[in-house]
Amino acid sequence: MKTLALSVAVASALLSGVTAAGNFRLAHDVGYAGAESLDPISPNRFFYANQMLYSRLVRQDQNGQPSPDIATRWSASKDAKTWTFELRQGVKFHDGSDLNAADIKYTLERIKDPKIDSPVAAVLGVIDTVKVINDHKVEIKLSAPHADLPLLLMDYRVRIIPENSGDNIAKTGIGSGPFMLDELDPEGTTVLKANPNYWEGAPAADAMEIIGIPDSQARVQALMAGQIDFEDSVLSQQKRLFTNNPLFKTQSIATGEWRALVFRTDTAPFDNAKVRKALRLAVDRNEMMKLVSGEGAGTVTCDHPVWSGDQYRTEINCDQDIATAKRLLKEAGYENGIDVEISAADNEPEWLRMIEVYQQQAKPAGINVKVNMVPSDGYWSDVWMKHPAVATRWSQRPADQVLNEAFRSTAAWNETFFKNADFDSALDKARSELDFDKRKALYADLQNTLWEQGGALIPYHLNQTRVMRSNVTGLDPVENFSIRWNRVNAD
Amino acid sequence: MIKLILQRLALAFLTLATVCVLVFGVTEALPGDVCTAFLGRDAQGTRLENCRQQRNLDQPALQRFATWSAGVFQGDLGTSLKRDKPINDLVANRMRNTAALGLGAALIGIPMAILLGVLAALRRDRTPDMVISGGSIFAMTIPEFVTATLLIYIFAIQLQWFPAITTVRHSAPLSELIPNIILPMVTLALVMMAHILRMVRSSMIDVMASDFVQMARLKGVPYWRIVFIHALPSAMLPAINIIALTIAWLLGGVVIIEQVFNYPGIGTLMIRAIYDRDLPLVQAIALILAAVYVLCNLLADLASLALNPRLRSAR
Repeated sequence: MKTLALSVAVASALLSGVTAAGNFRLAHDVGYAGAESLDPISPNRFFYANQMLYSRLVRQDQNGQPSPDIATRWSASKDAKTWTFELRQGVKFHDGSDLNAADIKYTLERIKDPKIDSPVAAVLGVIDTVKVINDHKVEIKLSAPHADLPLLLMDYRVRIIPENSGDNIAKTGIGSGPFMLDELDPEGTTVLKANPNYWEGAPAADAMEIIGIPDSQARVQALMAGQIDFEDSVLSQQKRLFTNNPLFKTQSIATGEWRALVFRTDTAPFDNAKVRKALRLAVDRNEMMKLVSGEGAGTVTCDHPVWSGDQYRTEINCDQDIATAKRLLKEAGYENGIDVEISAADNEPEWLRMIEVYQQQAKPAGINVKVNMVPSDGYWSDVWMKHPAVATRWSQRPADQVLNEAFRSTAAWNETFFKNADFDSALDKARSELDFDKRKALYADLQNTLWEQGGALIPYHLNQTRVMRSNVTGLDPVENFSIRWNRVNAD
Repeated sequence: MIKLILQRLALAFLTLATVCVLVFGVTEALPGDVCTAFLGRDAQGTRLENCRQQRNLDQPALQRFATWSAGVFQGDLGTSLKRDKPINDLVANRMRNTAALGLGAALIGIPMAILLGVLAALRRDRTPDMVISGGSIFAMTIPEFVTATLLIYIFAIQLQWFPAITTVRHSAPLSELIPNIILPMVTLALVMMAHILRMVRSSMIDVMASDFVQMARLKGVPYWRIVFIHALPSAMLPAINIIALTIAWLLGGVVIIEQVFNYPGIGTLMIRAIYDRDLPLVQAIALILAAVYVLCNLLADLASLALNPRLRSAR
């Protein structure tokens, strides 16, 4: 009896390991505890499913530039306040209805609806009204000039849903993307099947299986055992399991994600720009990256948040310079050294390592760094933006968005309390400049200002290590938002 | 006898009440709550207030505790703050899965442990004993997550006989869970066996050397009869408490094992609930686990009574 039960078990185990050919399997971390929502603008958005179910007006091309999705062409008025978008003809939602201008108007207005209170509303704050010109043309009026509206519309959450579907979109998932909802089960396996009518043609995979695996170690086990085909990001320690293994391919992708130490510019001694510059000059960024995250784990950054894949990034020289740091401290009245206490928790494994490395690197400049360990619970509400110096983390955002969200005087997440009227007006000027080269120069100035005066020590942007089984095709080494899921398959 | 059981039950109830108060107090004393955990950096201003209001977190702690306790008496464990679902529903399937895992491990582990323990005792200091005792020390000292990882490496990654981790949802029928259950079950059984086996072995050695066994031998009772009818029941007495404790340990061990195997049981739910600061859910699970613990001990006491007539007639 026991042997029978066991052999049945073994047989079914073998069967369960083999899924239908043509299904691509990936894992997600069940970050919202099973309350994952197919509403693209919900705070509980189901990241992978929403990437595959819905289209955007504008999407990233392989280099991160805006390229046509549902909108085929767009143009701005001279003052960059009125934009018109022409829509692709013949696109259908999964329920068979036509996608037209009214759906765009509804989608964008819903994002801005104060009753919904979506976190995406802030991204599209500049949009004033959306007008339907005809079935395949919309006009968007802005409250202030913005030359890079397409970049904002490229946000991964700005996804087109059918008119008046807001109340049940979280469950139906009806969009116009390459995959259609078959079964929604965030804690188990969510199945999306291929949409044969996708405007770019039927996708390569027959179905996507999104499997809920909260623990990152368990995801790596699943990948090794062949239960999933792809894992978005593995830790640097886990990377060795997959490199030089013929069963797997790895990709190292530059991202705009960073960990940083931030100093409140409204609190002594950090209210002195010379002190801040000295604090940031004392770092050897390459060395720090090597020690904290591993060799080649990122791209060095000079305390501005614009990442290496962004068209507006400017390169600055920020080599360690102890002599200048010392001179600046002396000028600021700290001849005999300065004590700095940084509060951090273990929410991010890099934070404490980063502070420890900084402690050693900054010592020769007379900067005595102390760590104030705080509990990770309530870190964001009780410590961050409260204590004078803290550790922080940010995910990738386009230049304009991140500069506005993190450094504008009035920004809710202005964690350095950076108040600089010139900087604010330069931000406005940059986004209203229609000429690309001039705009790029303006954004470069803003980044230089942060290097000279800012309160954030951003040593580098992180790379992500992506792993997939060697039979995976169509997954280009590009950032997550640029992946074309319709081309991905595991043969 | 009945008086004894009633006394035990009253004590058990008191223990559970204390557990509830302790768990509530400790989680309440920690900084942050489900809203700050969930909203992260958005935990500011009206968004935070709304979140707290929706979940009644603006009420005083004592009042929340009173409401929750009142619910428990009516069999309602409350509502999960993060998942926004009745805890009874959340817990039911996962409890079933964990019970299947634990019972499976106990059903394989306990008989095996007793058998191997007896064998080791009878072949004391000879090769079988060396192998069995050595193996059990090995199984006992290696942490269960290491055993689990080793088993995954051999049976899931190299041989590909079983899935490395569970990918089915918590409400899947048991038949779908079976292939997923085997590796975690073996891991649990291995550690559990080691403890029980060693206890059975040493007490069996004692009993085999005792006067009544000697007497039975002299009377010419067949060997197997001496071992299984005369010696084993006496040898089991100290082992029963160990078994009860091991089953109770199983509940704690299961938390780690479930996490390693991504098994949709009460343990993974507990870890997620703590991580999410989902207080009512943490409390409900702690209460359930404590209840099982107390119940195991109660059953062990009753089993001792049944096996040992002296205890019954003492009063």
